[in-house]
Amino acid sequence: MSFLFILAPLILLSALGAAALARPVHAALMLALSLAFVAVLYIALGADFIGLVQFLVYIGAVAILIVFGLLLTRPADEAAEAARSLRTQLFGLFCALPVAIVLLNVVASSPELDRAATAPQNLSVAAMGISLFTTHAAAVLAVGVMLTAVLVGAAMMIRDTDPEDLP
Amino acid sequence: MSPASAPTFLETLPLLPQRLIGDALRSLGIPEAFAAAAETAVAAIIVFSLFAGMFALLSLIERKVLARVQNRPGPNRVGPCGILQPVADGIKMLTKEDVVPVSADRLLHFLAPVLIVIPSILALGVLPYGREWVPVPATLGLLFFFAVGAMTELSIFLAGWASGSKFPLLGAMRAIAQMVSYELPLILSATAVVMLSGTLSLPEIVEKQGGWTLGFLPAWNLFTPWGLVAGSIFFIAGIAEANRCPFDLPEGESEIVAGHMTEYSGFKYALFFMGEYLGLFALSSLGITLFLGGWQAPLPGLGFVPSYVWFFLKLAVVIFLFLWIRATFPRVRMDQLMRFAWMFLIPVALLNLPSAAVWHYAGGGLMGWLACGPFLVLPYLALTIHFNRKLAQSTRTYRFAE
Amino acid sequence: MSAAPKWIPPGIGLLQGLAVTGKNFIGSFFRADRMTTVQYPEERVTLSPNSRNIPFLVFDGGDPDTGLRCVACGICEKECPPQCIYIVLDRDENGKSLKRPKVFDIDASVCMNCGICAEVCPFDSIFMDQEYELSSADRFKGLLFDKATLAKSATYHAKIRPLEAAAVAERKRAEEAKRAAAQAAKEAKAKADAAKKAEAPPTISNARPAGGSASPPDLSPTRSGQESDPPKSTQPTAPEEAP
Repeated sequence: MSFLFILAPLILLSALGAAALARPVHAALMLALSLAFVAVLYIALGADFIGLVQFLVYIGAVAILIVFGLLLTRPADEAAEAARSLRTQLFGLFCALPVAIVLLNVVASSPELDRAATAPQNLSVAAMGISLFTTHAAAVLAVGVMLTAVLVGAAMMIRDTDPEDLP
Repeated sequence: MSPASAPTFLETLPLLPQRLIGDALRSLGIPEAFAAAAETAVAAIIVFSLFAGMFALLSLIERKVLARVQNRPGPNRVGPCGILQPVADGIKMLTKEDVVPVSADRLLHFLAPVLIVIPSILALGVLPYGREWVPVPATLGLLFFFAVGAMTELSIFLAGWASGSKFPLLGAMRAIAQMVSYELPLILSATAVVMLSGTLSLPEIVEKQGGWTLGFLPAWNLFTPWGLVAGSIFFIAGIAEANRCPFDLPEGESEIVAGHMTEYSGFKYALFFMGEYLGLFALSSLGITLFLGGWQAPLPGLGFVPSYVWFFLKLAVVIFLFLWIRATFPRVRMDQLMRFAWMFLIPVALLNLPSAAVWHYAGGGLMGWLACGPFLVLPYLALTIHFNRKLAQSTRTYRFAE
Repeated sequence: MSAAPKWIPPGIGLLQGLAVTGKNFIGSFFRADRMTTVQYPEERVTLSPNSRNIPFLVFDGGDPDTGLRCVACGICEKECPPQCIYIVLDRDENGKSLKRPKVFDIDASVCMNCGICAEVCPFDSIFMDQEYELSSADRFKGLLFDKATLAKSATYHAKIRPLEAAAVAERKRAEEAKRAAAQAAKEAKAKADAAKKAEAPPTISNARPAGGSASPPDLSPTRSGQESDPPKSTQPTAPEEAP
């Protein structure tokens, strides 16, 4: 369990950085770093698949999305200025506090806490896949349909408006 | 797979250094964990230095091939046939001034070129180069490849944003939009292979492609209907992921100087190039592993040649294809690029997944071809004819050129 | 412009493009005529006879100081569009023109190689060179060509531009012959006059050399470059080079 004592402070520190750093891009990068450390934690706990998917989804998609949004917003200095004002900080605290209370409550009341010390279950990809496509088949299908709809919707949104711009 | 139970000496030749060092450490009484780590480190160093050398060579060969296509001799001044050109380039890069713009974010500006090389090197570690030669055998090799590949986009963004000037920012925006769009068809086409191989381990995927159909045709994934489509999509999306011509908009010399690399000079610039070429090697190697049978020999009776020779021969062919395409096609426009991904590649890649399932249940062979054919030919023809007709109907107007 | 194009199977256009570049790639290894690159320091292209670069001054005989055809008339200096020529007429201690330049400089960093100086020169003394390796480590002194640098022999001229040099030599010979003939006629006239004077009272004859349309080279530039206007451009100019 020694890796937890190395990784947990790193995760907390980088998350704190994400909240405290004034420039939006720095905050977003700290968030990405924090998510990366969480992925490392997963892998260290033996859940390789989840760890790699965390990396793929949170670094490759979520962090990129945030960063891309930042690219389209300007100017960064104004946002940094606003972040320093007391009112913004108080508002942020007001928003974050309920979320933190709820999350801590959920974690504290979880029955999984007692089981955490036990040995990990079968975490092989094949076992996970079998479990996904038998016991959780309905959920997987629903998510699959939703994601495909999203894809088709995205393609529809960029459908040719101007015929001259066709590929 | 191979009839011989014990691998031949030639087959295990690339593993020799790591075994020697591992045995030496063990005989000295070093704990097993450290010896294994040392073995892996040696294997990684061998792969990295091999590909770094190939990067240097490719930077020359690329110029030579492009020159030959344009009926020029290419660089031929440094050393015989210009063979020492990469050395001269390296010395030039090392001795150049390292310029950091005033408006740059100094830390991130420094970090970006470092971070861009790391994922490519990591990705090269899990690929099977030969029957025995797998630097890091990982059961989730394919997922690992894509997961570390996700880091590339973030480092390109870092480079673009931290430079604090407009061309890098434009280049980074283009690069991210392009890479996010083309990662989708890339992963979807790889998914088809995972579906039919039933594994995420790259060495196993290669071994599943062993054997021959009709006695002479290798049972590579490329020679199945779904593999042909997935392989083509993977190749096209791979060109875009590697920022190669005709999808080299992020660098677009004629439009935005050098994209996210504009404000870099000296060895940092060289690192960007290194990351790009290593990424090209990694993607080509993955494509070979998934669709071209990895280290499998292309014809029966050629099994006596060490398997990694076949791998690198295939790599050379694929890289040449990249160069050939670069020498031929002009750069596409940004909207054409995005529309091509979302309107053509992703629908075809999505349809390819049921096609792979049908192939699996039809049991392959002629039956499989007949069952899969409509899945693939019809959407392809429908989409291309649709686009062609639209194009023919449109009248070209020149809004700004009058 | 929206006529429907002939339908070709999708993807064929890309393959046609690849075929073109592939043909060039393979062909460059087998057909020498495809490769047009000249490996410059080792190989050189033969210059066309009319190619011109920096001007040079022609001298006859073996000595560049005495044989220089230039008489420092200053026409080229005035005609030069970028004004890169600088001439000082040489004079003896009495201030009399020696009909030769004391200084003749051309600033090669300014010269645009137009060849007008060679065209306007009535004395066939300045021509365009074919030398193109003019790089210098000193951008000021190294590119200011003085008289000694510019002077090149008539044989060199005949070597680089045989047709032009032959025409110049032909004209010179004709003028020489004409002058000799005029001289002979003058002498004969003088002799006749003397004979006539012996028998008759002398009359003043304004005998002039015949055929004075072209002013002889040794007569016209009596005016120095600084103090006079140049002769009209009806003066004989450098002959057109071979077509």
